Amino acid sequence: METFFLAISFIIAAGVLPFLFLRSSRLMRGSAVIMTAAGGLTGLLFAARAMTTATPPAATFLLPGGLRVLMQVDAVSAFFLLPIFLVAPVAALYSFHYTRAQGPRAAAGYLFFSLLTAAMAAVVCAADITGFIIAWELMSISSFFLVIHDFGKKESRRAGYIYLLFAQAGAMVIFATFALAYGKSGSLDFASFATMPAQARILVFVLAFIGFGSKAGIIPLHTWLPHAHPAAESHVSALMSGVMIKMGIYGMVRFYAILRPPGPGCAMLLILTGAVTGVLGVVLALGQHDLKRLLAYHSVENIGIIVLGLGIGMLGAATGHPLMALLGFAGGLLHVLNHALFKSLLFMGAGSVQRGAATLNIEQLGGLMKRMPLSGTCFLAGSLAICGLPPFNGFVSEFLVYSGGFQGVANSEAQMFTALAAVISLAVIGGLAVACFTKVVGVVFLGEPRSEKAKIAPPAGRSMQAAMVLLAVACLGIGLGAPWFIALARRAAGPLLATPTPMPAPLDTAAYAIALAAAGFLLLLAILAAGRGLLAHGRPAESATWGCGFSSPTPRMQYTGSSFAAEIVGFYRPFVIIRRDFSGIHGLFPPLSSFRSHTIDLVELGIRRWLARSVMALTGKIRWLQHGHIQLYIAYIFFAMLGLLLWLMV
Amino acid sequence: MLKSTLIMLAAMAAAPVLAAITGRVKAWLAGRRGPDWTLNYATLAKLLRKTPVYSRSTTYVFRLGPLVGLATILAALAFLPIAGRPPIFSFAGDVVFVFYLLGLGRFFVVAAALDTASPFEGMGAAREALFGTLAEATVFMVLFLLQQTHGGMSLATYLAATTAGPGMNGAALVLAVIALFMILLTENSRVPVDDPTTHLELTMIHEVMILDHSGPDLAMIEMGGWLKLLFYATFIADIACPFRGGPGDYLLYILALLVIYGGIGLVESITARFRMSLVPKFILTSFALAFFALIFTMEMPG
Repeated sequence: METFFLAISFIIAAGVLPFLFLRSSRLMRGSAVIMTAAGGLTGLLFAARAMTTATPPAATFLLPGGLRVLMQVDAVSAFFLLPIFLVAPVAALYSFHYTRAQGPRAAAGYLFFSLLTAAMAAVVCAADITGFIIAWELMSISSFFLVIHDFGKKESRRAGYIYLLFAQAGAMVIFATFALAYGKSGSLDFASFATMPAQARILVFVLAFIGFGSKAGIIPLHTWLPHAHPAAESHVSALMSGVMIKMGIYGMVRFYAILRPPGPGCAMLLILTGAVTGVLGVVLALGQHDLKRLLAYHSVENIGIIVLGLGIGMLGAATGHPLMALLGFAGGLLHVLNHALFKSLLFMGAGSVQRGAATLNIEQLGGLMKRMPLSGTCFLAGSLAICGLPPFNGFVSEFLVYSGGFQGVANSEAQMFTALAAVISLAVIGGLAVACFTKVVGVVFLGEPRSEKAKIAPPAGRSMQAAMVLLAVACLGIGLGAPWFIALARRAAGPLLATPTPMPAPLDTAAYAIALAAAGFLLLLAILAAGRGLLAHGRPAESATWGCGFSSPTPRMQYTGSSFAAEIVGFYRPFVIIRRDFSGIHGLFPPLSSFRSHTIDLVELGIRRWLARSVMALTGKIRWLQHGHIQLYIAYIFFAMLGLLLWLMV
Repeated sequence: MLKSTLIMLAAMAAAPVLAAITGRVKAWLAGRRGPDWTLNYATLAKLLRKTPVYSRSTTYVFRLGPLVGLATILAALAFLPIAGRPPIFSFAGDVVFVFYLLGLGRFFVVAAALDTASPFEGMGAAREALFGTLAEATVFMVLFLLQQTHGGMSLATYLAATTAGPGMNGAALVLAVIALFMILLTENSRVPVDDPTTHLELTMIHEVMILDHSGPDLAMIEMGGWLKLLFYATFIADIACPFRGGPGDYLLYILALLVIYGGIGLVESITARFRMSLVPKFILTSFALAFFALIFTMEMPG
């Protein structure tokens, strides 16, 4: 456990040191990067050892005020430490050139960045209510400050406000969960929750699922993501989307491991929520014009896949299918790690685009592969990974989840159809993700630039490129080293299984087979490419794109991202609305007209229209309590104290 | 494995001439003489000799498109049993690998089309993306069905001659075969989803995406297309034919291919292509058929 605290100290130092070097921006950023890297490496070392030791490292200490905090790192915690300690240093490295132009203000960013990293590490290690709540709130608050870093902008403040609302509403549900669990079990330790009666365990689990779901971004609690990510800086988005939302998943996993709610009901809840979240998430992503908003919706989609995996695991556990349970849990957990890698890579790619072309509106981009080939290639690798395509890492975890779903030949038809729903929605998600990322890669990086700025975009800074290359290599590495990472996820899934399940032989061979098949495919591709090279006659000629006889096409005639997605989004029309604003053509000599289309998130619309309005109406009625007279506020406090004292005396 | 490889190579070599069957049937029904049987080979040879022309808008993704497309279908075929014979490679879960590999091929074909900056190619790419998404749902529905009837998670257990499990009953089999045939038409851009012989870029799907490819690149795309057709036709033949493991299997397999390729020609001769907005309904119909096949299997086992 000392190693863990050493890692945390390094990371805190990464937040404090920059304040000592306010004069030299280079030194300031450099110190933060080096300390975060040191912390990350130490932390990874600790997590690797914690995964393999039989007795989980633990620590207890007293906070001022006599509060006892218990920490314990079992295989699940150690596994969730991996993405934290992997992504944070890489994101810090990326920030070295990304925050180049910020001056001394960057120090504040580094402080909250390091606090967020440390808080997340504390969240996954906390083993009782006290420690968990402190870490959880520290995580929410520090990320809130990271979201509003650009507080001069109205959208940033609005995004921060929405994020704070969802974070605290979710926290409220989590506190209610804790209160209920404490009331029923009479203990602050997580481990003692297991002693509660079955009904209470189910209720506590469902409450925890909702509370943690708002952090993870399950639909309908996802609406803060598409606001918060575009507002935050790219390395922060990478950390938040890649790692922080996984803390919600960690909460679900932890509570499942403790409570083990009996019966298949909870599993079906997770599978159906996961299916809806996954499919709608990617459909909503397709309709976006802002690159980071689009990626945020893809985080929603991937949370759906993770929840599907966990649900399949729970279904297997509840119906006595250890193999299905193992596959589902291992797939879901491995997807946590995979998504952390490729999503942070994609957000960093988006950041490079933003720095280069000064916009995130994909309709104004294009042709960036020629301007920034390395960033473009890394983004392409991340896109293939997030689509779950071999030979990248996304395929490995989705493969496990599929395999779990295919095991769903359960006793009852209801359970079989749940497994079927999981498999079909995974297939639909996979297909839609391909559509969405061909749109992103095609419209942003390929073709011709659609604006002057995109035409002259400079390549990303060297540290930014290095960070992206590292992550792209990691994505390919997990795809080709599947057996080791599947074994890792299986170890992490250990505490979730009722009985220690040995690695089943078919899974073991399949793990090696997909790695071999992926490598074989790359070999085949290389052979074909070599053959293609041998066949080449002379120098290939250069010419313009065929314009069907039209001789002077302009970049504005290219298919836009909106047009590309319109038919697909339109297909899901009942759930997603496309709003079109067309000024119309008037008069004999029509002036300039405009056409604009955007996708409306029905859930967000619903929250704004019904929930927010009714809450506002209700709270408006008691607004007279808030009048701004400080004397009366003091009187409120006095009477409240008096009331409490009287209540104590009675 | 050597035998499987030889069978595979023979089938791949025959893919262009098989594709010519469709053209012959169409010509015969229209009262024409039809192209020469060796036309497709001649086309390949001609294209391979040519020097490619690349648009100034394109990047390496454009050149990678045909390569990845051909590599994915070649790799996919290695996992497919032909005439009930075990495939070259097989492992538990290869169904997911094979169809995701085909997804990788689609990714690059679509990306290569967008790389040309041509509005027409963008339009075709968007349609390909939508129809591919929907077709994937049917494919996985059929795979889930096969898992129910045959067990396991590999094409070899689903489609090879000696299978465990109860197998599919007649009604489910008919529905599954029709559903797969509809997917074959969709995935290979045939009438009524797409018309390979259409003349207007605006109405094309597959053909418009490859407008700017030339020379060896176009040859790889053409070969990839014929192999993809072979993949789906073999998939259907393997499900529909009761292979016993004897030498008669090969005859049966060739007969099945003749029926399927001829059937494509027949469908193309007697139906017009759908309006674009009707195509999703067509694909969803195939999904519904596969779903009913699953229900039949559950309610009438054996």
